[in-house]
Amino acid sequence: MTSPLVSIRGLEKRFDLSGNLLEQITFEGGRFRRKQEAVHAINGVDLDVQRGEALCVVGESGCGKSTVARTVMGLLSPSGGEIHYDGQRIDNLDGKDALPYRRKMQMIFQNPYASLNPRMTIQQTLEEPIRFHHPDWSDIEVRDKIHEVMHSVGIDPDWGSRFGHEFSGGQRQRIAIARALAVDPEFIVADEPISALDVSIQAQVLNLLMDAQESRGLTYLFITHDLAVVEHFGTRVAVMYLGRVCELADTATLFATPRHPYTQALLSAIPKLEDDRPNHIRLQGEVPTPVNLPSGCVFHGRCPYANERCRAEVPELIATDEGARVACHAVEEGRL
Amino acid sequence: MALLEVKNLDARFAVRGGDLTALRGISFSLDKGERLGLVGESGAGKSVAAFSILNLIAKPGYIADGQILFEGRDLAAMSERELRGIRGNRIAMIFQDPMMTLNPVLTIGTQMVEAIQAHRKISKKEARAIALDRLQKVQIPSPEKRLDQYPHELSGGMRQRVIIAIALLLDPEIIIADEPTTALDVTIQAEIMDLLLNLCEQENVALMLITHDLGVVSQVTQRMLVMYSGRIIEQGPTREIINDAQHPYTQGLINALPQMGEPGDRLFQIPGAMPSLKNVPKGCPFHPRCRFATEQCKHSMPEYVRSGNVDVACYEVANLIEQERQMQEAES
Amino acid sequence: MTTATVSRWDRFRESFFWYSFKRDKVAILSTLVLVLMVFAAVFAPLLAPTDPYDLAQINIMNSELPPAGLDGSDPAFPLGTDAQGRDLLSTILYGTRVSLLIGFGAVVLQAALGILFGLLAGYLGGKVDSILMRIADVQLSFSTLMVAIIVGAVFKASFGNLMFGEIAIYMLIFIIGVAEWPQIARTVRASVLAEKKKEYVDAAKVMGFGTPRIMFRHILPNTLSPIFVIATVQIANAIISEAALSFLGLGMPETQPSLGSLIKSGFDYIQSGSWWITLIPGLVLVVLVLVINLLGDWSRDVMNPRLYKG
Repeated sequence: MTSPLVSIRGLEKRFDLSGNLLEQITFEGGRFRRKQEAVHAINGVDLDVQRGEALCVVGESGCGKSTVARTVMGLLSPSGGEIHYDGQRIDNLDGKDALPYRRKMQMIFQNPYASLNPRMTIQQTLEEPIRFHHPDWSDIEVRDKIHEVMHSVGIDPDWGSRFGHEFSGGQRQRIAIARALAVDPEFIVADEPISALDVSIQAQVLNLLMDAQESRGLTYLFITHDLAVVEHFGTRVAVMYLGRVCELADTATLFATPRHPYTQALLSAIPKLEDDRPNHIRLQGEVPTPVNLPSGCVFHGRCPYANERCRAEVPELIATDEGARVACHAVEEGRL
Repeated sequence: MALLEVKNLDARFAVRGGDLTALRGISFSLDKGERLGLVGESGAGKSVAAFSILNLIAKPGYIADGQILFEGRDLAAMSERELRGIRGNRIAMIFQDPMMTLNPVLTIGTQMVEAIQAHRKISKKEARAIALDRLQKVQIPSPEKRLDQYPHELSGGMRQRVIIAIALLLDPEIIIADEPTTALDVTIQAEIMDLLLNLCEQENVALMLITHDLGVVSQVTQRMLVMYSGRIIEQGPTREIINDAQHPYTQGLINALPQMGEPGDRLFQIPGAMPSLKNVPKGCPFHPRCRFATEQCKHSMPEYVRSGNVDVACYEVANLIEQERQMQEAES
Repeated sequence: MTTATVSRWDRFRESFFWYSFKRDKVAILSTLVLVLMVFAAVFAPLLAPTDPYDLAQINIMNSELPPAGLDGSDPAFPLGTDAQGRDLLSTILYGTRVSLLIGFGAVVLQAALGILFGLLAGYLGGKVDSILMRIADVQLSFSTLMVAIIVGAVFKASFGNLMFGEIAIYMLIFIIGVAEWPQIARTVRASVLAEKKKEYVDAAKVMGFGTPRIMFRHILPNTLSPIFVIATVQIANAIISEAALSFLGLGMPETQPSLGSLIKSGFDYIQSGSWWITLIPGLVLVVLVLVINLLGDWSRDVMNPRLYKG
């Protein structure tokens, strides 16, 4: 197997909630105590993104999928672990050293209403990154590049002098994609790129992303909560729950034989057209807050198959016969 | 007689530069205990349609024309005072954001008791008993405790359960639910939808479900109507429409779902986007995006034709039906 | 290039700003009055019948003449004259000029400092934010007048009265500008905090853009509306501050009067019946500050995004 394009190793991210030293001191049981609280958004995630694939990360809110995306892109600095791009560690780079990766790695955001600068025209939005990364290009080269990306995302080049707010959500997302493509990236992190869009527009944008992948040989890290999209779009899927990967498999394998109890519940909860009634696996309770993580398997509180071991011991990802990797004691022990 | 009958409803927004038509000629009915889905993309007017039933469209919106008959009485012609006796009492609403209904500074119990006492002259104790009963119905864990909690102490899923409990407080005839699960996670969404469906069946309450999610509509409702640019373009039994949609827009909407395509293939896509209310095209509003559009579509809005049990507003469908009829005539 | 300017003009004409301006009588009237006063102040040397700075044109025999229409008035002095025999209309025109100059100048200085520190504090956060905002708090806890009195006294003592007269205008701009920058810095910081959470800022970071570029090119243009509103109000405040200082004798000297020093110079004669020397410049000051404040209030209403939505 060739080396992965992006490799995430033991990634951890905590957000400190307790503020400065003064705010941390609490008075409890007759004496002062220093109390530190943190949101444990990611707790040890290992993922490899292979060249040319679309690796989808799915999970519900609070599972840390967006934090993974933002950490990979350097918008957040990891609390632990490493991120490698093409064999080179990138999470500790800054300034000039990081610049080549800023061009190779791009991001598409969730909210097309916020991701375009309201005071910049489409032309300015697209021109700035090109000039920034190619200061030696002539005006004609820049113009041709802008026309090329606008054309490839289906935006009329004549609209360049207009502002973002003059466009619909779908068109804005096209412009945001054009901005990412303008610097000829190899790797794109797409953080819920279609969830703010209407159904008929979602299909347009998904098709556009697939076209771009094909024609430019892109690699995607695709973050979404929508499993139906994953089934259609993803090469492989990583299911996350409370900051951990609980199942990682080829898309077809995952949808045919989901092994982790959470994956099963998640799959059964998608409302399908052929259903006449909701028929889903009922989970107990709701997702716990990532402030006080449960001991052992983070899913044990809601899992119908949890036993003593699940409550005490953190499960590791283990390969199954189908070629998937599942972090579940019940699967490992053959109870499930 | 239908429980609720909306006839030729027009709603407009008064803005600078004249009125914008948000709803045009909306007609539908809802029977007792029936579950109806309102489907459409954002801007289609589905929320305006739902809100206008209780005359709740926010200013500058107003109902310009039409009737909303609830048990034979026209809600559109009622005074604010009369409407207040119906809102929350006979017709309850569930919003997408639970915090639109819940007051953050009052306990759940206080809010529920107040809601009951606004419509019924009963003691606080009796009201509290009703509140507790409804909380049990929505299967909230430890309901007694919830009565004394504040909304922020509950999770999103739990809040939406409380909202459903509040909607059920006064045994309404109709529940109007506007995207009740859109803000929730998939697994919680499934639970809430399941609960809502079961309660409506148990209590024989009619449900008007506004959603953009065709999967949810197919799971929960018996009949559905599809809206586009303020018009109903197709309505009929849910199963019939989902399995064999007539209108090119509905077809496109269904085929654009990722679950309809083969993995890796391009999805079916409807070109363009829904027009804004400011520039709704003449004729059939869908014609600029429609594969079958003809000159006729550009000039006049098609009338409804019936295909099976489904009413469709489309010239192409009308032509097909006409052709079929002629062929049958020719055969016999 | 012409097409771009035309489209920008068209955009402005279609904007909500222009739309609500056209429908607001108070805003239109205030703008008219303000434009008129600014025009008169700017062209004071052309419009004024006499030059109050020119001692040769002043005749002490003409002192304390009442405005036109009163007993003993002289048609050459429509608003009367002051105690030194200067034409009041001319001194008011020149005085408005000085007052407006100090008002605008002080706000330009405030805005420069406020925008820079507000952007730094809001965008960089952490220690930079804490330090800058504490400085701002300390700054605000001194009253403008107190700072001005101290600085003014120091200036007067070290430069002497004559020299002071020449630099007074810059000193006032400096004092009022420095004393009030935290107002603008706070506004800027608040909107930067809101803006920097938006995804377009993330998009700029992902592109690898440097911090100064993101701050000034991406975030700053999106915080201009609130800056505009507060700057308008601050102009009025600066004019009042200057008038107060001059009234106390710490501002503009009488040889180069602002509206404030005109009011002060007439104040001694109010008992002796020459009320116009104080009252007329006072009225001009009130009208000037009022129209600026009215415009400030109106633009706040228009630019408030929550009201804007409808």
